[in-house]
Amino acid sequence: MEELQGLEVSVLWHTEGKGDEDLHVHHFQRINEASLKEIGVESQQSIHCVLPATPLSYHGQLIRLSWCVRMRLFLEDGREILSETPFYLVTDAQRAPCVAIPGEDDESHEPSQDKSAVVRQSRAAQTRSALASLRRD
Amino acid sequence: MPWSKKRGQRTLGSPSAGIAGEVAFSAAAFLSGVFGFSLVLISQYAPQQVPEQVSSEALSSSLSSWVMGIVSIAAIVIGATRLVFRVMHLNASDELRSVIATKAAALERLAPGQSSDTGLPNVPRGRAITDSPGEHLTYRLPMVTGQDGILGPALLAWFWNTAWIILLAVVVSGFWIGRPRWILTGLLVPFALIGRWSFLYFVTQMKQRLGVGPTVVEINDHPLKPGGIYDLFVSQAGRLKLKRLSVELVCEEETFFRQGTDVRVERHQAFGKYLSRERDVEVDPQVPWEQQFRVEIPKDVMHSFAGTHNAIRWKFVVKGDSRPWPSFCRSYPVVVHPPGSTQNLNQP
Repeated sequence: MEELQGLEVSVLWHTEGKGDEDLHVHHFQRINEASLKEIGVESQQSIHCVLPATPLSYHGQLIRLSWCVRMRLFLEDGREILSETPFYLVTDAQRAPCVAIPGEDDESHEPSQDKSAVVRQSRAAQTRSALASLRRD
Repeated sequence: MPWSKKRGQRTLGSPSAGIAGEVAFSAAAFLSGVFGFSLVLISQYAPQQVPEQVSSEALSSSLSSWVMGIVSIAAIVIGATRLVFRVMHLNASDELRSVIATKAAALERLAPGQSSDTGLPNVPRGRAITDSPGEHLTYRLPMVTGQDGILGPALLAWFWNTAWIILLAVVVSGFWIGRPRWILTGLLVPFALIGRWSFLYFVTQMKQRLGVGPTVVEINDHPLKPGGIYDLFVSQAGRLKLKRLSVELVCEEETFFRQGTDVRVERHQAFGKYLSRERDVEVDPQVPWEQQFRVEIPKDVMHSFAGTHNAIRWKFVVKGDSRPWPSFCRSYPVVVHPPGSTQNLNQP
């Protein structure tokens, strides 16, 4: 506990894929050393923010758009510990993020069987319940 | 009445032939000017290469040299001006150019964050899409040509052939003074082939501009929503015999990335749905090809998205494979909202 200097919690979306990354922080919270000592790290804390309607989570061929809660812990010796928990932003009508749909007469539009995408989906599904406090407007 | 002014719509020759003739004349004037001016420069600045029987002093001060230089420059200026003017004004009326210029100034760049005031961050507003009412349906969609412009091929053909003419002048002057440059002479042939290719490419692009008539795409509602059903009207005018004509709804992923010092763009069609694919379509100036479709946007598709380096764009694409004109491909962007959104971006 004495080693901790600060903590940042952010709710953000970012893109992954072939192109350069786009990143937008929707909610940001920084807890300084004094507050951190006061709150403690043993007890569970919840964050509340109203998510925007867009951009929705998307798994495409060139672009993947992912939402996550990112926590960055600053230690006194200058080190940082980063933890990231992904989640889906979907509409009420959806149960999974949008994916690229193969086009007609185009064999290159086969749906991606990328293992990492499957793993991410699985992880995201697991963390969805843990982030039930995040509400969409 | 025999003394009255002759009336009617009869014309001598086709307008296309007139334009082609004007372009050819302007190009010939420009290239002749370059050739003549190159000869004058060579005689002025490389007097040692002038034939021994001709006094270099006499040549540099001769009236004919000045006259030749002035005439050459005049030919270059006149030819270049007419050529640029004609190429820039191909297939476009003054009114159309004015509208395009106004729209270009007002056309919204689909940049990130512009729709945050509508409650849909990173979804393009697409207001420019609905600012033109349609004749058959509510909105006439603006066109984005998928094909290259004509200015690039024109400049390439122009500069390359200009350089070739200068090279020709140097080679001719070498033969003239009795000191032929054989390497340069040998290079003239491959360079001429490249010049011929660039000229033919320019002619192909010009034919495409002149031959393919306007494509009109109208839609009954905008923005689109997943699960929604929309009416789409497509009209293709011109005098064409198309081997194939297709209308397609396309969702495209577009991503920008840096590779060394270059910025590259890559596109991938994430979704495609043909609304029409017809073979052997004949389009007459009096009877344009017209079709009305019902388009259903699938429920589970991604909405339009515009980030700084990544974008997801929806559009209708009209493609034609025509003879004798080259194929054409015209895109009509639309904005797809996420399902359930109630924002109407058409309201001010």
